[in-house]
Amino acid sequence: MRTTTRVLLSMAVAGLLSDTNALAARAVRGSANTSVNRNVNVNRNANVNVNRNVNVNVNRNVDVNVHGGYRGGYYGGYGCCYHPVATAAAVTAAAVVTAAVVGSIVNSIPPSCTSVVVNGFAYQQCGSTWYQPQFAGTTTTYVVVNAPR
Amino acid sequence: MRHLGPAAGLLLALATFPPLVSAQTATPATVTPAIEPQAMAALNAMGAYLRTLKAFQVRAATTTEDVLDDGEKVQYAAVTDLLAQAPNRLRVEVVSDQQQRMYFYDGKSFTLFAQRVGYYATVPAPPTTVELVDRLDEKYGIEVPLVDLFRWGGPRASAADIKSAADIGPSVVEGTTCEHYAFRQPGLDWQIWIQQGDYPLPRKLVLTTLTDEARPQHTAVYTWNATPSFNDAAFTFDPPSDAQKIVFTEASATAGAVKK
Repeated sequence: MRTTTRVLLSMAVAGLLSDTNALAARAVRGSANTSVNRNVNVNRNANVNVNRNVNVNVNRNVDVNVHGGYRGGYYGGYGCCYHPVATAAAVTAAAVVTAAVVGSIVNSIPPSCTSVVVNGFAYQQCGSTWYQPQFAGTTTTYVVVNAPR
Repeated sequence: MRHLGPAAGLLLALATFPPLVSAQTATPATVTPAIEPQAMAALNAMGAYLRTLKAFQVRAATTTEDVLDDGEKVQYAAVTDLLAQAPNRLRVEVVSDQQQRMYFYDGKSFTLFAQRVGYYATVPAPPTTVELVDRLDEKYGIEVPLVDLFRWGGPRASAADIKSAADIGPSVVEGTTCEHYAFRQPGLDWQIWIQQGDYPLPRKLVLTTLTDEARPQHTAVYTWNATPSFNDAAFTFDPPSDAQKIVFTEASATAGAVKK
């Protein structure tokens, strides 16, 4: 299961790369006043995509988690909408098995974990550490829990 | 004179005014009211029309800009397919660069399904879509995709925040002639393209966030089907055999955990 997820994640990143290029290609047909900037992005992709993806995975996930995008409440009186990355540092980018404290939350778990279902809910057992996957907003995160059995 | 139509008459009328205008220089622009009544009326008419729809299907192509820590903006794309039946059926699929999610609501329970990782979570749901939208936002920090479509014309669509409203003029969106309006409110500029004629549907939406100096934008272009065919099973989640059940974190619990 973990291996599968890893593969999927790799595919997702690969998809991100190609999607980004496709997006840029589409953007050429977009509004005139922003096409210049988007074209700049096309060039940049070739150079720094690898680094960028690291940032995207960490920050973007937290963003979605905490703020849920623009909220759509502008006409309903919410006030605002979109928040920049403010809490990214609070969530660790990747889990370290030896430092897993119960209650801590991570966006991804170590590669060699076993998927276990206890009382109908999914867990990931990674050595002596147990993670419970959860939806935080629409984002999947993993919270370290005591062994459920 | 006989061959001159109304347009020519208008030209003649205008021709008599330039001396006055030039004498007053640039003042006419500032005389324009900040909130144009016809822009507000169009917005309200669109909302009222949306609330009359018994069922609709809409596909939205969206782009969302994210501001990285150093201020650089990156843009993500997503496609959202939404099927709604008033007052309490909803099915949404969102495929973005980074996530694929499905939302199911059958008037009794709500399920979020993450297809790529095979996780889903189900909770009891309030009896109407309008209430569901609020519950998910407040309790779980989940924004229903295209949530505006359920808020416009509803009780929470107060116009009090709008400080400026302007009719920009006709504009064609994906082949449909629309009227383009621009609104300002604290922290946010937004524009909407509303279909002209008897079916005032939103066809395009652009949000510009002002509270970040990078001014990230969100855009959505809507394609409508006002007579969708579907059956009730579309709104009920039937988990695939390899899907695993997980939980939602409650928004307040999440905030507390993040602080630690």
